[in-house]
Amino acid sequence: MSKVFDIFKRDVLSSTRNTLAIYMIIVPIILAVVIALSAQGLNDTAVKVAMLEDDTPEHIEFMRKYAKVELFNSVNELERRIMKRDEIAGLLPKGDGYEIIVQGNEPEMIEVYTKTLSALYELGVSKEDSRSEIYNFNRHVPPVKKMLVIMLISITIMLAGMLISFGIVEEKTENTINAINVTPVSQNGFIIGKSALGGTAAMASIVISIIITGFYDINWLMIILVGVSSLILSVLIGFLQGLNSKDVMEASTGVKVLLLPIAGSIAGYELLADKWQWTMYWSPFYWAYKANDMILSKTADWPTVLLCTGLVLVISLTAYLVMMPKIRKGLS
Amino acid sequence: MKLLSNYIKEMKIAARGFYFYIEIVIAVIIVSILLFAISEESVSREKEFLFYEAEQELYDYIMDPYFKDGRLVRKESVGFKVKAMDIEVVDQETGEIISHHFDENTIAAETIEQYDTKTGKLDKTIYKVNSYEDMLHLSYSEQSFGAVVKYELDENYKIIDSYKYYIQGYETERFMNILYVLYNENPEVLKEYSDKQNVRVLGDMEKLNNRESMVPIFLTFLGSIMGIVIVVAYLFLDKNERVIKSFAVTPASINSYLFSKIMVILTTVTISSVIITIPVMGTKPDYLQLLLFLYMSTFAMSAIGLFLSSFFDNMTNAFGALFGVVLILLLPMFSYFIPSFDPLWLRFFPTYSMLQGYKTILLGGIELRYVLLYSFIYLIGGIIIFALANVRLRKTLTV
Repeated sequence: MSKVFDIFKRDVLSSTRNTLAIYMIIVPIILAVVIALSAQGLNDTAVKVAMLEDDTPEHIEFMRKYAKVELFNSVNELERRIMKRDEIAGLLPKGDGYEIIVQGNEPEMIEVYTKTLSALYELGVSKEDSRSEIYNFNRHVPPVKKMLVIMLISITIMLAGMLISFGIVEEKTENTINAINVTPVSQNGFIIGKSALGGTAAMASIVISIIITGFYDINWLMIILVGVSSLILSVLIGFLQGLNSKDVMEASTGVKVLLLPIAGSIAGYELLADKWQWTMYWSPFYWAYKANDMILSKTADWPTVLLCTGLVLVISLTAYLVMMPKIRKGLS
Repeated sequence: MKLLSNYIKEMKIAARGFYFYIEIVIAVIIVSILLFAISEESVSREKEFLFYEAEQELYDYIMDPYFKDGRLVRKESVGFKVKAMDIEVVDQETGEIISHHFDENTIAAETIEQYDTKTGKLDKTIYKVNSYEDMLHLSYSEQSFGAVVKYELDENYKIIDSYKYYIQGYETERFMNILYVLYNENPEVLKEYSDKQNVRVLGDMEKLNNRESMVPIFLTFLGSIMGIVIVVAYLFLDKNERVIKSFAVTPASINSYLFSKIMVILTTVTISSVIITIPVMGTKPDYLQLLLFLYMSTFAMSAIGLFLSSFFDNMTNAFGALFGVVLILLLPMFSYFIPSFDPLWLRFFPTYSMLQGYKTILLGGIELRYVLLYSFIYLIGGIIIFALANVRLRKTLTV
């Protein structure tokens, strides 16, 4: 055990000379800050409407309640704005009513929503006449933000594996792997020691990123459990890629290959209908994503989290046992 | 001439490597996913849980016309397994909190699909449940919209409707404003007024379908952007194998060495982009414009990769920084998929214009000016960054 710790210490020391651990922590934190800053904008899916400055104040005020309104001096200016690349509809007075102006290539809902708003205005509806009551479940985190944070956790864990992969390739280039074989440290000990730095840095940055993005009151034990089990998987993949890659070019290619099942698992979980979710059950990334989703939504219970982490570990362990001969061969 | 011989040599080496073929395999996998797993029309996944507080006869009287005209279609009933949970419901107006406890349960719901009669597309799936409690339990656990719709008759037998909406809590004020007024008027009257709105179309009606709209994403992130990481991997590979030191004693310039690396990337992305684009888009795009835009953007991104790599001495260190840059460059993808998220600062990301440029080209190159303008910007930006990278790498590469 002390030898394993020695490898970890050696990696910590060498990482102060290179910047591996710093990136492991800095990159996810920068992204967490970006998520925290842009999440509100991502959640606000209100349609943009262009209007004339000399339209009636009541009409402008009405539209502002339901859409993001931009005002223009002239019809020409308004039309130029609509022809720009983003999605915005125009509302121009015409006769007794209004004319809706669109570029033509917007998603259908932009036109439908603007037509509905204009109809509501013509009908003279107001909140005071409403027969509706609104209640909420006291949830304040938009799903887009939660999804981005889970993706960030997945990426951070993947980054740990990738950096281990590059680290191994470089150790191979420098012939330091052979040197390990003549020391009393076992191959398993080498694997654990080598993984400890990337793993610790990844877990630290995950915790900091989660705090930055405002998820304070989640079950931290659950998130750490899922994080550690995913890290085991990522490290294993990193080792395999590192040992099987002749050079950095092959390791980089491995990164690209690895992105496919990760992105596929996220897309599958988020986009597939319930009846097709089973098609993703083979992927440990799917189970890790699912567990993180439930934890951040605060709907997770221990049996489900343990099942998800158990599946990640079983798939990882199976992969490890299958690949062990290759790992041993690569290390010797 | 030296550049050409360098390029041919690099291509021969690349053709012996793993990377070149993996690029092709990945492109084939992606095009297969696009063709077989992604439909041309997007399918709505929106769902609502509704409890109708009304006499069955009144409900049938109100809803039957919608079932008859095909706007609503009854499907097989489903059972939702829901866990035991405690739920807090907050009154939006008063802030009053009501707590509920629900036991584990299987809730039966009648499935009703709502279609747009004009387009025939699925709008949303409605799950009609038998009690207020079931609606709350499902709406909370499925994190979807819930409502109690009440229909009753007054003393003159006029239908009185009222609505209680149950939302998650993160929705915007504008969304809630529309909920308040949406059913102030009879839906039929609202639809009639809405349909008679005069709409003027200024430009083109061309749109990418659901499948086609994925192509710019792959062209940008697996084509142009990947140049950043791959050119650096090539560079450090040569550095590790001491090829660069050998190169330093030849008469060829570092300039031509670096550019030959970029040319290899351009060749690879040409093959993978064509594999992805042709089966999905056919002859619709202007491929000359596509190649021009692809080359200029990949050149600029590769130049950025080379410049960044000049600050590092090995791939592990460089990768951390490059990966961070690539991830940040992914942000405009959200604006691409969520049109209402379009802040000004995002437009300064090169990937924003790449996504828009590829979209324009795939639509048949209707805005040549945009494509040419940004190709020119990538070229000039790429040349400047390449020159800077050249200056830095001349000092650091052979060390």
